[in-house]
Amino acid sequence: MGWLRRREQTGRSILRSPEGRLRIPIAVGLGAIVGALSRYYLSLGINQGLGINFPIATLFINLSGAFVMGFFTSIAVARNIISPDVRLIVAVGFLGSYTTFSTYILDIEKLVVVGNWQFAFLYWVSSTLLGLLSLELGCFLARRVLSVF
Amino acid sequence: MITGSMLSSGELSVALLFNLLSSANFSLANQNYFNLGAPVAVSLGAVLGALSRYYLTILFSQRLGTHFPFGTFFINLSGSLLVGFLATLAIDQVTLSPELQLLMITGFLGSYTTFSTYALDTSVLLQNKERKKALFYWLGSSIVGGVCLEIGMMIAHSLHRGGH
Repeated sequence: MGWLRRREQTGRSILRSPEGRLRIPIAVGLGAIVGALSRYYLSLGINQGLGINFPIATLFINLSGAFVMGFFTSIAVARNIISPDVRLIVAVGFLGSYTTFSTYILDIEKLVVVGNWQFAFLYWVSSTLLGLLSLELGCFLARRVLSVF
Repeated sequence: MITGSMLSSGELSVALLFNLLSSANFSLANQNYFNLGAPVAVSLGAVLGALSRYYLTILFSQRLGTHFPFGTFFINLSGSLLVGFLATLAIDQVTLSPELQLLMITGFLGSYTTFSTYALDTSVLLQNKERKKALFYWLGSSIVGGVCLEIGMMIAHSLHRGGH
């Protein structure tokens, strides 16, 4: 495991190493499959359950993803207990694929097209503001957890 | 007749995948989402999207430095443009089948663009006391993202009209 700790400083050498060439795409790809499928089934379930004209599913997914991102990266940075592979699977693969920016922008456009300006503005502001807030909340919680253990 | 020995393993897996995707067509029409086709389409797009995002982010940080999240900024804006383009094609019912929509929009673009890294990048810029960069990145992503979506839609409309 020595080379991993040495080489994680520079992204270039880890990509060129024979282990990294396969190891990284597998880690990112595995996390991405789980993340995208969670997003797909969650948004199907939430939209069927509520059936209201507000993209609550994407909002929930993006806010919860930002929260977990704050929590996870705070712990990963503060204590070196999480291996680079797990960081790739969770942060780049899972959370990167679970949350989405393109659907968020598309949802706003859909609300604007229908003429629902209030909801469009509410969705835009709540995503950007609350996204940052839930990330900070995750960081805060991680600091609390770290101070206990 | 094509036998297994005539195909390489790569070609064989692509052929199998297309069989899976095309068999999903019928059940998607019946609103049965828990078949094999939909998750396979979403997963395939997701792997491609996440890997493109990962390698593009590395490329951007190597070329332009890490003082500003150029990679995620470019990825989210280009993803918005593409989603405008593809969603317009899907609505206009040009050529996008339900499986292709799942693969390209839900799978690829959903995984390619990211909201959690966008929030994280903003927070990191704020922690480094880079207030102007943080504000530009934070508001710029969502405002320019909307503009990029409109551009993508315009391109799709002009292509559609050009075809007739």
